Amino acid sequence: MATVQTDQVTLTIDGQSVTVPKGTLILDAAKAINIDIPIFCSHPKMAPVAVCRMCLVEVEKMPKLQPACAVYVAEGMVVKTTTEQVAKYQKGVLEFLLINHPLDCPICDKGGECPLQDQTFQYGPGASRFEFQKAHFDKGVPLSDKIVLDRERCILCWRCTRFSEEISGERELALIQRGVHTIIGTFNDEPAQSNYQGNWTEICPVGALTSRQYRFVSRPWDLDRTASVCPGCSMGCNIQLDARSNKIGRFQSRENLAVDDGWLCDTGRYSFPNFQRLTQDRPQIRRDGRLERVTYDEVIAFTADALKASGQLAGWVSPAASNEELFLFQRLFREVLASPNLDHRSAVLEDAEPDDMTLPIADIEHCDQVVVLGGQDVIDAAPVLHLRLFKSQRKGVNVLKVGAADVKKALDAVPAEAQGVGILATEANKKAAVELQGKLQKKVKGSVRRLIVTTGPNGRGAKDLGILPHRGPGYVSLNGKSGKGRVEWPGAGVKALYVHESSPLHGFVPTDAESMWLSALPLVVFHRFKPSPLDEVAHVIIPGHAFTEKDGTVTSMEGRVQRIRKGIDAAWVREDWRVFQEIANHLGADWEYESVEAITGDLVRALPPYRAVNEGARVLWSESR
Amino acid sequence: MGLKPVLTKDFHTENLEQLSVYERTGGYAGFKKALEMQPDELVELVKKSGLRGRGGAGFPTGNKWSFLPKGVYPRYLVCNADESEPGCFKDRYLIEKSPHQVLEGILIASYAIGCNLAFIYIRGEYLPQHEALESAIEEARQAGYLGKNVLGKGYEIDVILHRGAGAYICGEETALLTSLEGYRGEPRLKPPFPAIKGLYGKPTVVNNVETVANLPHIVINGADWFGAMGTPTGKGTRVWCMSGHVNRPGNYELENGTPIRELIEEHGGGVWKNRKLKAFQPGGASMMVLLPEHLDVGLDFDAIQKAGSLAGAGAMVVMDETTCMVDAARRYVKFFHHESCGKCTPCREGTFWMSNLFDRFEAGEAKATDVDLLLDIGYSIDGRSFCPLGDASTWFPRSVIKFFRDEFLEHVSEKGCPFKKMAQEAVA
Repeated sequence: MATVQTDQVTLTIDGQSVTVPKGTLILDAAKAINIDIPIFCSHPKMAPVAVCRMCLVEVEKMPKLQPACAVYVAEGMVVKTTTEQVAKYQKGVLEFLLINHPLDCPICDKGGECPLQDQTFQYGPGASRFEFQKAHFDKGVPLSDKIVLDRERCILCWRCTRFSEEISGERELALIQRGVHTIIGTFNDEPAQSNYQGNWTEICPVGALTSRQYRFVSRPWDLDRTASVCPGCSMGCNIQLDARSNKIGRFQSRENLAVDDGWLCDTGRYSFPNFQRLTQDRPQIRRDGRLERVTYDEVIAFTADALKASGQLAGWVSPAASNEELFLFQRLFREVLASPNLDHRSAVLEDAEPDDMTLPIADIEHCDQVVVLGGQDVIDAAPVLHLRLFKSQRKGVNVLKVGAADVKKALDAVPAEAQGVGILATEANKKAAVELQGKLQKKVKGSVRRLIVTTGPNGRGAKDLGILPHRGPGYVSLNGKSGKGRVEWPGAGVKALYVHESSPLHGFVPTDAESMWLSALPLVVFHRFKPSPLDEVAHVIIPGHAFTEKDGTVTSMEGRVQRIRKGIDAAWVREDWRVFQEIANHLGADWEYESVEAITGDLVRALPPYRAVNEGARVLWSESR
Repeated sequence: MGLKPVLTKDFHTENLEQLSVYERTGGYAGFKKALEMQPDELVELVKKSGLRGRGGAGFPTGNKWSFLPKGVYPRYLVCNADESEPGCFKDRYLIEKSPHQVLEGILIASYAIGCNLAFIYIRGEYLPQHEALESAIEEARQAGYLGKNVLGKGYEIDVILHRGAGAYICGEETALLTSLEGYRGEPRLKPPFPAIKGLYGKPTVVNNVETVANLPHIVINGADWFGAMGTPTGKGTRVWCMSGHVNRPGNYELENGTPIRELIEEHGGGVWKNRKLKAFQPGGASMMVLLPEHLDVGLDFDAIQKAGSLAGAGAMVVMDETTCMVDAARRYVKFFHHESCGKCTPCREGTFWMSNLFDRFEAGEAKATDVDLLLDIGYSIDGRSFCPLGDASTWFPRSVIKFFRDEFLEHVSEKGCPFKKMAQEAVA
């Protein structure tokens, strides 16, 4: 039986009938039936402003053309987007936008992926009738150390200023002057401080806001684009790695509403130069105090034999290794080398457990109270969280930022009638977070969940897969067979250390005590992506792949397993997992992995919750128990 | 028809700006009477009177008041005293001569709509008028017309006086509200209309100075008295600001419907220097030009609209036969170009382009095709802009092209302004 749905509206656009929920903009209703209405100022995550006037369409019974980006649908509305009037006007508004635009497309970074350029081709006039001196403005204005602004290219769509107000809440960018003299800028021309400036360049519909790092680097059509995950932190923001001639040009956002909401932070976005390979280095073995170049086969045989012979062993993997690498590394240590001394951490932390991620990132918006324990520390550890928190605040969520020690303050501030409480904290403050969670669970009616921000793009994976001295894969207890953690190694008689590092952002940085110990160690195997100070004390150097050079999966702080893909081809470097396998096989194992996928398959068999990898979903430990 | 001083009736009285003098002429009797009535009765009274807003759009005042959503408080009244339309100077006159009349109107309107805090947004350049209002507010406060408990009737009202900072756009009601809140003066997206979501997001009524100045008289004399004046759709009187090439420029309060001829020829003393009338512009800088053949049109919203222009904010700019219409249009276009807030593309870029084109006519470098180019630019601005500022920037120049296309072409063929040449030859 047909039911009347009062929350649905049926209208006609260009002769096609479409039914959409009440409160839908004409623009979105048109999009639903693949009718493309050109826009510049409109942005799905920002309130409509209707300033560019590009999207004007005919609506029957309305005397004037209406902005599709700002007018909501109504029952029986008849919209026309391709009439002569609309087409003539579209030519007119594009001619307007271009009279003061420098048309320097041949030297503009945006050329080739520029909405103004594209829409001029599609809807604009072939030639301009404007025969006067254009209004001139400053070009190449440094807005900050990250962004350069070309005020002549700007078409004043307000997207960047609205981002600054509505998305990041920092209100750093503003409109200055008026009329044709209007410019965007910061207060007193002071350098912008925001950690989200890179997003301005992405939402800019022209080449006005450009990333300093990407200026004049490439034409968009020369880029090889690879879908991957940001190596910056444990947030797991999705990126598109754009490379030109096998060199990274930039990281762009790749919207995943559940994770990043389409945004990146500058810490992550502009971290890519760290992954630039400077030299084609080769495996090396220290002989008579000097590092000598050897082949991979030599280094693998030497390493395997040396590890086997060295007695007490320890292995450290950076929290930027892929799950597949982590899986094999712990197998190599536990099964082949019979050493339980595994770690990925830099300090002693509270025990890791699946309960650390009961609050998914996207659910922050659906809490009514969110406690950010440690305040700015949490934001610094996963900067895009700030955007989610600000969005939540705008939706009415009470976000409480307190010091890491302010458990009591937070406890008092959360009302007993709270329906859903979220707690965010860094690994270092986990103890306080657990304490607060326990107390709140007794106080409030609703659920209390926590999300612990891990370290590194795969810190969560390292815990899940047991790169810990006291936990095996899946957080299983080792029942008395626990090894020692990193901070204990210098005092525990460890004689040989294997360090695997695939990101300089999360590398093995020795403490003073460790430095002393390291320089006296009989064997240091350093399996890393590019030369680093640790080379000095290494006896064996095995070149490996950077985070950006490998295929695999990583697990974000909320337990989401996502694929990373090879964006840069460093073919002369043997895959890290293959090196682990060959060391193992040299020592008598019979591993026969032929691809990363084969390891992923084995990993899922060993750890069924990791089947989440197939959907890029979160690992749900509780369901499997 | 003809002169009908209602608002300006006592303007000859000396020291009318003082409370005691204003009260002697019957001042604040309207407010006192209003306080005896129910707010709803007042709204009905004003609706019945047929009073239409004097700021330009001519929207029925009572209807505007009744759009406020029931039960949503606080709500605000904002008096728009940002008179910045070139050619208009009536609000300035009304405030200067009788600030208490304006204030009394504000108090009546506030009481009628249930507002406890009203604002006056006054044009920044109107410093003496600002001072006049400031002392009027202070006097009224001392006398108990403003305060927590007005005249012991339990009504609370205060008035905040705010000076603008010199932007034409802030006369547009939503830009005015944005400016009043402390932001850049830029128009807001409508809907929501100010009646639903106005100042600080609260229900708000924005009324012009002359509109509120009518209220004390309507309350005292009744809707029928008011309705007996003027035309069926344009009741009452209006203060017309006459300027330009007339012998006696100034403000004239006339009953609505009075022929334009009477205003210019009788009250204005006709065109100056014994010259002939070439054109005139009612309403202000925005409005379309009219010709001598329109002299018998009545001064009334609908009649002027029927003739092809708009009554707007009550200006009457008279142009004699020596006026270069291209130059007149150029000056107005330059004004709009200068005042465009820059928010929307058509107004920001279109006024810039038109301004350049008009300069080219003036410099004698224009092409014959530039006339149609101007019309084409107008097509992409009018009705496409974010607010009426952009739309209005095209009305006068396009009406001039309609009636005086030959003058544009003369500028082209003579490579310059023929009127300037004539003037120079006359001097030589």
